[in-house]
Order: sequence, then C-alpha cells, then structure tokens
Amino acid sequence: MSARQPRFNQHLLIDTTPLPDSIPKVQEVGSSSAPLLSASYFIGARCKAYNDDYMQCKTEANGKGEMDCLREGRKVTRCAGSVLEDVNKSCLEEFRKHWECLDNNNQQLWQCRKWERPLNSCVFEKLNLEKKIPGAPENETPVHLRKRQIFAHSIMTQ
Amino acid sequence: MGVPFEALLPYAVCIGMFGFSGAALSKIRAMQNGGKRARHSVDQWDRQMMDRDRRLTGFLRGQTDNVKAPAGFELSNPWRLERGYT
Repeated sequence: MSARQPRFNQHLLIDTTPLPDSIPKVQEVGSSSAPLLSASYFIGARCKAYNDDYMQCKTEANGKGEMDCLREGRKVTRCAGSVLEDVNKSCLEEFRKHWECLDNNNQQLWQCRKWERPLNSCVFEKLNLEKKIPGAPENETPVHLRKRQIFAHSIMTQ
Repeated sequence: MGVPFEALLPYAVCIGMFGFSGAALSKIRAMQNGGKRARHSVDQWDRQMMDRDRRLTGFLRGQTDNVKAPAGFELSNPWRLERGYT
C-alpha cells in the first residue's frame, strides 16, 4: 500500500523531560504576539548582531540547527528580554497603548501609527533605539514616517 | 409643504433592521474574541503566534507584556501526533 501524508492533528504529547544540566538555562521571553510586534523594531535595533548570527547558524547547519545553534539562540533570547525589560521600565504607557491598538486591528502596524509615534519618540529619548525598516529604499520617506497611511481604516488612528 | 416622512419610513425600517443585525453580529464576534475585534486573514505564522499566546496566557487572544515566561512554558509546546494503526 502506498504511504499517505501524515495528519498530525489527532493527539498531543507533552514531554516534560527538562533539558540536561550541561545546557545553561535561560528564561524564555514572556510577551505574547502584540507586545512583541510592537517592540520588534527596537529588538532589531539593539540585537541585530545576535539575530544575524543565529540566522546564519541556522542556514548553515542544514537541518541540525535545532541542536547546534542553541548557543546563538540563548544570546538572542537574552538580548530580546533585555530590550523588553527596558521598554517596560521607561515607556510602559505608550507601549501598552500601542500594542492594545495592534491587538484590536489584526496586528496591522499601519492602523496604529497615532500611538506608534509617541512610542518611537519615547524609546528614542530614553533608550536611544531608533526604528529602521531594513531594505527600505533610501530616497523615499519610510512608511512609518509618512503623514497619510493609505490603507488605514480611519483618519483618526493614522 | 413639509417633508413627506411617511414615504421615508420604509427606508428607516430597512436601515434599522440592517443596523440592528450588524450590531448584534459585531457584539457576538467581540464576545467570542475577548472584547476585541476578530482577526482575519490569519496565516500559519499568525496561527502559531496565537497558539503561543494561548500557552502563555490561557486565552487564544490573551496578551501579556511580561518579560519572563511563566514556569513550565518551555515544556508546554506539545508534539503533534497521529494515532497509529497496524
């Protein structure tokens, strides 16, 4: 009989064996999707080196990256955790407003520029992290700095 | 001569019915999504992130901005299996 594609939707297995003690323990990042999306460009600004290292390790590992790139992954987790901690300490109100808006709007950044501008200026003043979109063409204003967002639903939230 | 309001009453009824059903559907969707608007065009990345949110908070649309994950979060991602048969 020919084999069919497996359908992995029938049963769950939770393996509670912890990692061996030879691997250093790192606290996982505890933010959910909206705060992470909101802070993602600041994480990119501070952690670009570690993130690029991790991505290069995974690309070059040819499938064994899950075990071979644990060290780079720990650095990525620690750096992202440090950015989130700093943003929580200094700009909590603007941060919360921005990610609550994102959560209400299907995680679409262009609907919530009104709350993103105070967050960007607060983070730039206090933490010196600037949001830059990688790969944006140099001779146009970046999308997050434009006055009019062409796809936003309402004028009030642009 | 005043505005002939009796002629406009059917329009008011139609608009009222559409408005009421739209508002009721929107309220039902908000109740299903924890007081927020529903997500649309959800792809595999979004489904994976929503599953992670459910592991972190207990609700599919729950959000939190803690820095550290709760204890046991590293171990709560299940292996998805298929029931075997011989």
